[in-house]
Amino acid sequence: MENTITTKNLTVGYGSQKVVNNIDIEGLKGKIICLLGPNGVGKSTILRTLSGLLSPVEGIVEIEGANLAEIKSAEIAKKLSVVLTDSVSPRLVTVKEIISMGRTPYTNFFGKITDKDKEIINDAIDTVGVGYLADRFFGQLSDGEKQKVMIARALAQQPKLIILDEPTSHLDIRHKVEVVRILRNLVKERNITVILSLHDIDLAIKGCQTLLLVKDGKIIDQGMPEDIIRKGTISKLYDIKGAVYNELLGSVEIENFKNGEKIFISAGNGTGINPYRAISREGYDIISGILSENDIDYQVAIAICKGVISEKPFEDIKEETINNAKMEIDSSDFVLDSGFPIGKQNIANCQLIKYAVSKNKKVFSLRKENDLKKYFGECQSKITVCHSMSELMEKLKKGR
Amino acid sequence: MNHNILTQKKNQQKIRIGRTTTLFIAAIISLIAVFLISISVGSVKVPLNQVVESFISPETIDPMMAKIIKTIRLPRTLATIAGGACLATAGVLLQIFFNNPIVEPYILGVSSGSSLFVGIVMLAGFKFGFGYIGPIGMFIGSFCGAIIVMSVVIFAAKKVKSINTLLIIGMMFGYVCSAATSILTSLADKERIVNFTLWNMGSFAGFTWDDVKLLYAISLPFILFAFLLSKPLNTFLLGERYAQSMGISIPPFRMLLVFISSVLTAVVTAFAGPVSFIGLAVPHIVRITYKTSNNWIIIPASCCFGGIMAAVCDMGARVILSPMELPLGAMTSIIGAPLLVFLLVRKNQE
Repeated sequence: MENTITTKNLTVGYGSQKVVNNIDIEGLKGKIICLLGPNGVGKSTILRTLSGLLSPVEGIVEIEGANLAEIKSAEIAKKLSVVLTDSVSPRLVTVKEIISMGRTPYTNFFGKITDKDKEIINDAIDTVGVGYLADRFFGQLSDGEKQKVMIARALAQQPKLIILDEPTSHLDIRHKVEVVRILRNLVKERNITVILSLHDIDLAIKGCQTLLLVKDGKIIDQGMPEDIIRKGTISKLYDIKGAVYNELLGSVEIENFKNGEKIFISAGNGTGINPYRAISREGYDIISGILSENDIDYQVAIAICKGVISEKPFEDIKEETINNAKMEIDSSDFVLDSGFPIGKQNIANCQLIKYAVSKNKKVFSLRKENDLKKYFGECQSKITVCHSMSELMEKLKKGR
Repeated sequence: MNHNILTQKKNQQKIRIGRTTTLFIAAIISLIAVFLISISVGSVKVPLNQVVESFISPETIDPMMAKIIKTIRLPRTLATIAGGACLATAGVLLQIFFNNPIVEPYILGVSSGSSLFVGIVMLAGFKFGFGYIGPIGMFIGSFCGAIIVMSVVIFAAKKVKSINTLLIIGMMFGYVCSAATSILTSLADKERIVNFTLWNMGSFAGFTWDDVKLLYAISLPFILFAFLLSKPLNTFLLGERYAQSMGISIPPFRMLLVFISSVLTAVVTAFAGPVSFIGLAVPHIVRITYKTSNNWIIIPASCCFGGIMAAVCDMGARVILSPMELPLGAMTSIIGAPLLVFLLVRKNQE
């Protein structure tokens, strides 16, 4: 497949000050390429250089095989267009006028919009879906609408390549998704190449075919998201402190201040996630078990909990694992039954709750009363039932 | 259904074009009316019908009136209208250049820089025995002053990002230039001062036909030049980077904008002194009236409105305390300064 944009040994920066070194990008036709990296690492600098708004410090940028530095800006404008972070709010300019500006490189000296231009403008408007805004003044639009209009304007330039600097910042989730969906359509249906930077890691990983991870003045890795994003990649890339990013679930779990009390949570099948988050927020140390490693709770537990007692996927729970769990229960202040479904493989968890009751631990349960009786028999009377997370929190505090 | 929407849209477009055309016709009619009235009013009142007649068959009217019209009123009115058009166009260009709606030649200190240099040419030149300084000499001096202040302000604009700071720098620079001008004044010959002082407050009085010819010879081509830049100017509405991404070569274009707006400011200042706020008020009034920022419309409309505003202010200056004449700067400031405050306040609220 042919390359739309290629960089060779590119170093970007301002004047002689280098910001990111040795960038080698091959922008395949019809791909979305995303730069990921912390604030201030030079993503915008890279994008500006790729779009010809900034001269490279070293190396060259080639667009369709031609050196960007040697092409006239009017010709570059026919090959690539940009959506910048610059907040523009020109007064008294209609959406249609803004989108028509995209035709600037093609129109004559007087900027005459021909019938053909009109067709292309209308097509851009329809593709992005901003027809209903066409006669409104740009300044009156919401951030999301503005961004879509700027994309339509970029599209009216009939580019081979669109470069967008953080196009989803300031947008609500609906518009974030919409922007990415529009870009994916362009890539798929028009074979346009898209290079952008995003701060929404999840959108980037799921929506883009190629990721470039930028850190410490260089590209630390590039490739398909599924190939380069491993456990810990994101936390390392952003130097996240005080929280853990789970690459598999795309969720951030925040580390909390500790109050020194320990709670054992018996969970499974997703019933643990809410209690983990709510309880850790209040500062309790959580030990959770026994979880199968293919349980969804396990993924969140390893991010939030201080300790996780687990069993290999699809294995029955071993005696040794149960003993480990019992030891943890012995040293816990509280025990919580998250209300997990009970089946053949995790019946041991049910026994752990009973064990806790027999050890006179304060045991809470989020299970319905009827089920409680069914599974725990007479132990039930010593288990405190909570009907909501806030009730559980209150009772936990009282139990202290 | 779809068809309906389409025709509706077409109609809307027609209405828009119709509105713009109507406004242009109205502007031109007003300009002509103001032109005639401006010739008519003053310490000696020339009836309007005589003014009109003086163009059709000059020999039929009172020779005294004809003389007043020919030697005083007509050159003055022509100069006022061209001056207003120049300042308004310079205002449009600078507002786009700085991507900010509250700049104009006077506020940025460009006019004051111009006057200082005209002062140097007029007063010092006379003092050192060059004698009479022709209109071209005045213009060249004025242009040097404009371009120097403009360079300083642009340099400052690169360092400071805040427009308020930039305005203050411009104003302070203007003060320094004014101070230097007054020092010059106190050193100059007494008989020259009277004229110079009046001139330094902004006035279209005393335009000779030579001045008018030079004013038109310079302003018309440069206004046309600015008008022809409307396409790239329009892309600048999205800021410099977007303009560049749409194929505009920025450095030469910036130079061109600075050059044209300096010439337009200088040519007015050379003869009429620093005239405030026309460059600020007119582009705004025009944008709001025409409900667009499209420079193909804004620049010609600003020329009409600039001419009208300058002529109306000039008439006010002549009539209000007639036969005494007020400085034009006082008139334009009374209208312009509150507008600037209003714009600043609204901008901060945004």
